[in-house]
Amino acid sequence: MNNTISAAERLARIQVNAFPYFRADWLERLIRIFGSAQEILRQDAKTLAQEAQMNPATAQRFLKEAFSIDPQQEWDRTSQLGGHIYLPEDEEYPQALKSIKEPPIVLYVLGKLPPAEQAAVGMVGTRKITPYGRRAADKLATELTQCGVTVISGLARGVDSACHAAAVRLKKPTVAVIGTGVGRCYPAENRPLAKAILEYGGAIVSELPVNSPPSAFHFPRRNRIIAALSHVVTVVEGEIKSGALITAKLALEMGKDVLAVPGPIDGPQSAGPNQLIKDGAGVVSCVQDIIDYIPEPLRFGISAHALKAPLIAKEEEAGLDDLSKQVLEIIGPGEASLDAVVEALQIDVPQAAGLLFELEIKGILACRNGLYSRNKF
Amino acid sequence: MLSKVNACAIKGIDGFLVSVEVDIAPGMPTLSVVGLPDTEVKESKERVIAALRNSGFDFPLKRITVNLSPAEQRKSGTQFDLPIAVGILAASQQLSPAASQTLANYLFAGELALDGALRPCAGVLPMLISTKNAGKTAVIPPQNVQEGNISSVPFITPHTLRELADFLEGKLSQEAVQINFIPPLAEPEEPVLDFCEVKGQPLAKRALEIAAAGGHNVLMIGLPGTGKSMLAKRFPGILPPLTQQEALEITKIYSICNLMGKSRLITKRPFRDPHHTISDAALIGGGTNPRPGEVSLAHNGVLFLDEFAEFSRSSLEVLREPLENGVVTISRAKESVTFPARFTLLAAMNPCPCGNLGHPHKACTCSPTQINRYRARISGPLLDRIDLTVNLNPVSYGDWNQKTEGEHSSAILARVLAARQRQAKRFAGSPTTANAFMTPAEIKQFCPLPAGADTVLEAAMRKLGLSARSLDKILKTARTIADLEQKDQIETRHIIEVLQYRPLDRKGVADI
Repeated sequence: MNNTISAAERLARIQVNAFPYFRADWLERLIRIFGSAQEILRQDAKTLAQEAQMNPATAQRFLKEAFSIDPQQEWDRTSQLGGHIYLPEDEEYPQALKSIKEPPIVLYVLGKLPPAEQAAVGMVGTRKITPYGRRAADKLATELTQCGVTVISGLARGVDSACHAAAVRLKKPTVAVIGTGVGRCYPAENRPLAKAILEYGGAIVSELPVNSPPSAFHFPRRNRIIAALSHVVTVVEGEIKSGALITAKLALEMGKDVLAVPGPIDGPQSAGPNQLIKDGAGVVSCVQDIIDYIPEPLRFGISAHALKAPLIAKEEEAGLDDLSKQVLEIIGPGEASLDAVVEALQIDVPQAAGLLFELEIKGILACRNGLYSRNKF
Repeated sequence: MLSKVNACAIKGIDGFLVSVEVDIAPGMPTLSVVGLPDTEVKESKERVIAALRNSGFDFPLKRITVNLSPAEQRKSGTQFDLPIAVGILAASQQLSPAASQTLANYLFAGELALDGALRPCAGVLPMLISTKNAGKTAVIPPQNVQEGNISSVPFITPHTLRELADFLEGKLSQEAVQINFIPPLAEPEEPVLDFCEVKGQPLAKRALEIAAAGGHNVLMIGLPGTGKSMLAKRFPGILPPLTQQEALEITKIYSICNLMGKSRLITKRPFRDPHHTISDAALIGGGTNPRPGEVSLAHNGVLFLDEFAEFSRSSLEVLREPLENGVVTISRAKESVTFPARFTLLAAMNPCPCGNLGHPHKACTCSPTQINRYRARISGPLLDRIDLTVNLNPVSYGDWNQKTEGEHSSAILARVLAARQRQAKRFAGSPTTANAFMTPAEIKQFCPLPAGADTVLEAAMRKLGLSARSLDKILKTARTIADLEQKDQIETRHIIEVLQYRPLDRKGVADI
């Protein structure tokens, strides 16, 4: 940790970061004008407005928000969670964030961020994941992790969770940049996942005060951190207007490569990636496609050929009897209900139930809302 | 002069004897009714006065006191018009002493029209059944003759107050004041609903068959238009016919609610489908003088709750008691009343608020939070009482245009009856009537786990997130499936089938 910054200044920085409507670069400007965050907090609203040419009402709100949090408490709570609060002056503050247009003025980090020389791929996508998106996210994130690449995502429902979960299953680190404070978990059902990320050496990162609740405008802002920390951004699924595409846009602005997983042309969740491909994004059909875009020195030694067992489920399926194979054929790449299996094979419900149960227990199929889909490619 | 006449009142679904005492004394002309009468009983005096005058009797201009004993029990209903009028006739000596003396042999129930004609009233059947042992001849309105017939209590049915008086005086023969039968009005023939008309949906049909065989409750989750209501309406058709005892229980409840219509004994299993805006009191029963609600009207039949998640939270929670115990107890400060309410619950809901989740072509517009909130409206304890959950999917054109006809209800009913027979044998001497109502001890006795089922259940708990508390439900349902196959022992494949009917995923499940 850099010792040139006094403890008091640290706490003041945490305090000025509390106003959620201010972009980080504006805060930076304020700090430049007044020389330090402590100095900002010593001003009254009127001087602040005058010196920084702000709207007096905004200045007032800014100060009110800043004094509404207790920085010492923020600090203690983060330590209690096993985390740290870094400033851009600190060595631990990721290099990659410093170079962007609006680097967070403070960064709350639980766990350990990967070193700068570690290849990292951002994987983003919709919360309303389809079976196809789930398989794609799971396969790509698993294989990237197996190749030694860190997967970075946002711990949201859907694609984000699928990507983190893939890394966690391999007991490998992954980085989650979240849109709430690090003291919270949104969505709540991802709490076990968040715990597992920390357990396996990953990190949970946020620029927001430790107890910030989820709020719609927090999420686009955290996307810039995902884009900044990643060397390549892969969009798995997402509508045309979605957070995933915002991340892609931010990554392009930062000069990073954006890749997209193509999808069916009539699937609303594939409209985003298909549009990106039309606009010139790279197409991902296997993990090597992503690896090829990782910048040169980092890519060294990473290859999909090193994957020992391909994830393709052929082996598991090889041992199945004919009827089970037919069931898999009926389900195909999409979803099918038990009713469809009954109709297609002309068998009765108990028999179909038995076949589907067998396949589900073996992990070949998954059942959601009464519809069966394949777990793997 | 004092007179005493027998009448009857309803408490819960049973009647109790009330003695109507009329005292006529000199004084200011008043008529007061005491003994906890409800509004409709208090109003009866106006009808009685007019009916007496219009039947050619005098209304004595004296101080008349009517007491309904036992005085601490609340009494409601319009059946007190007739006994009060008869009591006044006797007390004012407009009936001969000989006739007055015979009054103790009769039990009077009936509403009076202002012209002195008898009008039907509610609850005649339970009144007659409950007072059977008193050995009285009932005097009831002609329109209630069917209930008289069912009760097998001797009764007469005069048309008017004057006719009754003439009979009591011996001027009319018993035959003249008794009818045994009213030809029922030609009721519109209800269309016969058969399962063969439902295309596709084999899983849902199978679940309903199991439910009919074992008395299990079912939750159907499906997109709008997938046939949830269509299936539910056909469900009573695969339930075993009512026993005499069951039919009597239902008819009593319908008699109290004045829903008998022209029918005699109710012989069809009731099918009640209240709208989701129903109040708690209408669903469960209630009122100052508690009346049966929809759950009791569905007794021995089917309660179909469409748009299950749209019912108010409190309405759904009050369902827990009848689902657990088969009765509802309505407590008031002064008394508590118990109504029977053993029904099969069929619930239906959309998979998400917009109704398109899982649709092959349409996109669901709900956020995950909305979906979770929608599903969380069905509480865990309520879901615990639902043994079978099925997802229905849109029927494809191919299914709809299927050449082969589906199975007829009669074929399904035959299997259900056979399964029910096995259960009747199994539970002989126990209050349990079907597999769904087994006690933990009975589950232990009758549902031993087959060899090899351990691994299946263990895998299901690990992989499918099955909870330990659902194990009993699984065993009960597996027992019914085994009964449908006429098997003495539950087999592993039965348990595997039950796992298809796993409960609604209420929380968004994390990916780990």
